[in-house]
Amino acid sequence: MAQAATHRFRRRLLKALHFTGLFLAMSVICLPGLWIVLNSFRPTVEIMAKPPVWIPTELNLDHYRAMFGGIGQGGVPVLTYFQNSLIISVTSTVIALLVGMAGGYAFARYRFKGKATMFVALMASRAVPGVALSLPLFILYGRIGIIDTHFGMILVYVAMNVPFTIWLIDGFFRQVPKELAEAAEIDGCTRWQAFWRVEFPVARAGIASAGIFAFLTSWNEYALASQLTRSVNSKTMPVGLLDFTSQFTLNWGGMCALAVLMIIPALVLTFLVQKHLIAGLTFGGVKG
Amino acid sequence: MTRAKLPPWLVLLMPAVIILAAVVLIPLLLSLYSSFTAYQLTRPETLYRWIGTFNYVKAASDPNFWWAFGRTVLLLTIALNTEMLLGLGLALMVSKVTRGQRALRTAMMFPMMFSPILVGFQFKFIFNDNVGLVNNALQSLGLTDVAIPWLVDGQLALFAIICAEIWTSTSVFAILILAGLFSIPQDPLEAAKVDGCTAWQSFRFVTLPFLMPFIYIAMAIRSLDVARAYDIVQIMTNGGPARRTELLWTLIGRTGYVDARMGYANAMGYISIFLAIGFTVYFFRKLTAARVSLGMGD
Amino acid sequence: MAQVHLRNVLKRYGGLDVVHSINLDIAHGEFVVLVGPSGCGKSTTLRMIAGLEEISGGEIAIGDRVVNDLPPRERNISMVFQNYALYPHMTVRENLGFSLTIAKRPKAEIAAAVAEAAEILSLTPLLDRRPGALSGGQRQRVAMGRAIVRHPEVFLFDEPLSNLDAKLRTQMRVEIKKLHQKVGTTVVYVTHDQVEAMTLADRIVIMRDGHIVQIGTPLEVFERPVNTFVATFIGSPPMNLLAGTVQGGQVVLADGTALPLPPGLQVADGRAVQFGVRADNIMPEGHALPPTAHMAYVEMPVTLTEPLGTETLLFAALAGTEVQAKMLNPRPVRMGERLRFGIALDRCHLFDAASGASLRG
Repeated sequence: MAQAATHRFRRRLLKALHFTGLFLAMSVICLPGLWIVLNSFRPTVEIMAKPPVWIPTELNLDHYRAMFGGIGQGGVPVLTYFQNSLIISVTSTVIALLVGMAGGYAFARYRFKGKATMFVALMASRAVPGVALSLPLFILYGRIGIIDTHFGMILVYVAMNVPFTIWLIDGFFRQVPKELAEAAEIDGCTRWQAFWRVEFPVARAGIASAGIFAFLTSWNEYALASQLTRSVNSKTMPVGLLDFTSQFTLNWGGMCALAVLMIIPALVLTFLVQKHLIAGLTFGGVKG
Repeated sequence: MTRAKLPPWLVLLMPAVIILAAVVLIPLLLSLYSSFTAYQLTRPETLYRWIGTFNYVKAASDPNFWWAFGRTVLLLTIALNTEMLLGLGLALMVSKVTRGQRALRTAMMFPMMFSPILVGFQFKFIFNDNVGLVNNALQSLGLTDVAIPWLVDGQLALFAIICAEIWTSTSVFAILILAGLFSIPQDPLEAAKVDGCTAWQSFRFVTLPFLMPFIYIAMAIRSLDVARAYDIVQIMTNGGPARRTELLWTLIGRTGYVDARMGYANAMGYISIFLAIGFTVYFFRKLTAARVSLGMGD
Repeated sequence: MAQVHLRNVLKRYGGLDVVHSINLDIAHGEFVVLVGPSGCGKSTTLRMIAGLEEISGGEIAIGDRVVNDLPPRERNISMVFQNYALYPHMTVRENLGFSLTIAKRPKAEIAAAVAEAAEILSLTPLLDRRPGALSGGQRQRVAMGRAIVRHPEVFLFDEPLSNLDAKLRTQMRVEIKKLHQKVGTTVVYVTHDQVEAMTLADRIVIMRDGHIVQIGTPLEVFERPVNTFVATFIGSPPMNLLAGTVQGGQVVLADGTALPLPPGLQVADGRAVQFGVRADNIMPEGHALPPTAHMAYVEMPVTLTEPLGTETLLFAALAGTEVQAKMLNPRPVRMGERLRFGIALDRCHLFDAASGASLRG
């Protein structure tokens, strides 16, 4: 009896610990984001108040109004940055997906000499730190004259996203049995038709999630963008965040508002792809 | 109508190879060349002044460089290990939840999707000594009444940076380890139970070996973009105070863009590239080995 | 007319030959089964006929056309895969009609062809489901339906039943045979299961290590195996093989037991041989078929029994070799009980000990 009681006690204790731990961890994960959202609605005085104001007394849309209005101290051309980010991210994602699909398919379907080395080499090209890469790119782009252009940024982001897109798409295509394409060929398809009518639709969800991952990488990238963009011509939102800083001050409220604008698409997209993303990462990685 | 012409895999890989060659390989060759010159951004003619390994020798004899190098390795070691342990813990906790697990999993991914620069600002704000969340909370709870200079003191600043880094990247580990936990076959676990293993023993001898490939995948993914810590550090401290949080990447950025000494910056850049690639190759090797040992290979 | 001809067909991977220059002629409407252990080259052969593998040498003709360089879609064949390879993103209806859609046939014609195939395979109620919502047997039928819809010249089956459980397998075997009788198309069928081969085939092609070992009707390969490999591969339980030496018209086994040579065989003294006898031809006295003209008798201790209902399989020891025998109208047998077994010599075989080749010529 006593033994059963200890066991029951221990189980309850574990359960309580489990719950507390989970709660703490989730708070740490979620709070910084929520804090930003909250601050974007609070007047600057309240954010900066000392002693701190824990319970917001006033919530308004001032920062958003200032941001979009391009007036007052928040006169940052947010809409232009948003547009730049969108054009650059979407275009580079589409191209990276096409290139990545070709490459991923090659890795998933063909055997060739030096395949493993080739794969690691591709990945290693992604490992080159952005800041180290930005130095020579800065020089080259300056010579060619594509600094501060959409084209220049798209090119960089395609290159940056291709390796990882290949990794993911390789994983997704490997989950599509080879026999499907063979069956389609016997049913009268050319290789090309077999790919587009059978293999592609079956792997579609996975490819979409690879695309979203690439999109977010471009959307969030800073190290390269900060050097290769100059003006409203091509500045993206991460670079635009710096417009809220000056030598000694920071417009926290305005920055939070822009941050929210950056986070929202990211969150929505994450929510959409999370399942496939994990499947793609692990399948490609585990079933070498 | 033969089925074999140019090997199709080569044709398929061509676009990727061309793009990477153009945007990564050629610039890197240029930077390799310029690392042997006295190139200064402001004086283009210096690009042709060959000075041999001078820049490398200079870097190797510069204590600032070695401090940054050591600090980078230290930061990565601490951060990656902590991330792995926390990720493992988080994954284990989430895997035991039955209701609302999907929501938890999604929430877990959010930090991954934050722009690193945003994370930098966020944590700069949180650790602000005057109005930051951490100090406000500590003071409101009455734990301290002084403003702790989180980003001003060198040690504390490094700690704050590591916190930010861990916050963004723990989820990579948690998510992949969680995926690993779900893919573990139940039979060996049940067999271990019947064989009289304690919970710890079955974790240690059954679960963990199965998780290793997943941990290595996470490590490999992380190794691909460890340098994104650059964005965070740049915003939070920009290497300061007094170079106490200078990392290899911030040092390179400053030398190249602020001091305009491109040749020297490229030389240090090369060292950081080899560090990153070495890292990547190491973890891919580990991943392959773990896979083979579990019989998951080809 | 759709005969299939293989002339010196060769498949080489790297430097390794996996199919060695094989020759095979398949008549129109014939059901031919390629059978052999895994890795014998049977699937590769089938995939070469399908056009999924390149041919490293030789010539394959379907009908009157040499198809060596034609892609699968131009060979007018259809194939059922081991794992069915149904398109998961299409309904059963779309799966069945896919080949016709690709060929851009009119909608009405596709609908009619799909309906007909669905009727034959009783898939009509499932037409709007996706493959994911079907049972193994149903998927199998959809795969077959997809193959028959376009009325190909040749059906290719690649181990189509190996993913089904034993009961379904038997059932689908019957359906495949009925289907063949109904549509009368030439069939090439690959399996590693000799029972499937025996029950389905007009002719069996037995393969091993990339070579064809024997071609014949099921009864031919069962009754006149060309070597010990075929003898032990075809038939269940496998044929018993007893090693011995020929002396004075008898085969003398290791322990001195002497068995007369099967009638009609002349073998020189001193030759090392294997004496082959199936369980059906070695039975204990009193529980056997009526004796034939040529009988030999041996006494053996029983080591194990496997009651099967109408008969019992007896395991006995003869000259250090385990021998399986059948007991009709079974009675309980004690372990170690010595029984007298009659061997029907006219149904026995003799093989060369070294090469394994049959000495029946």
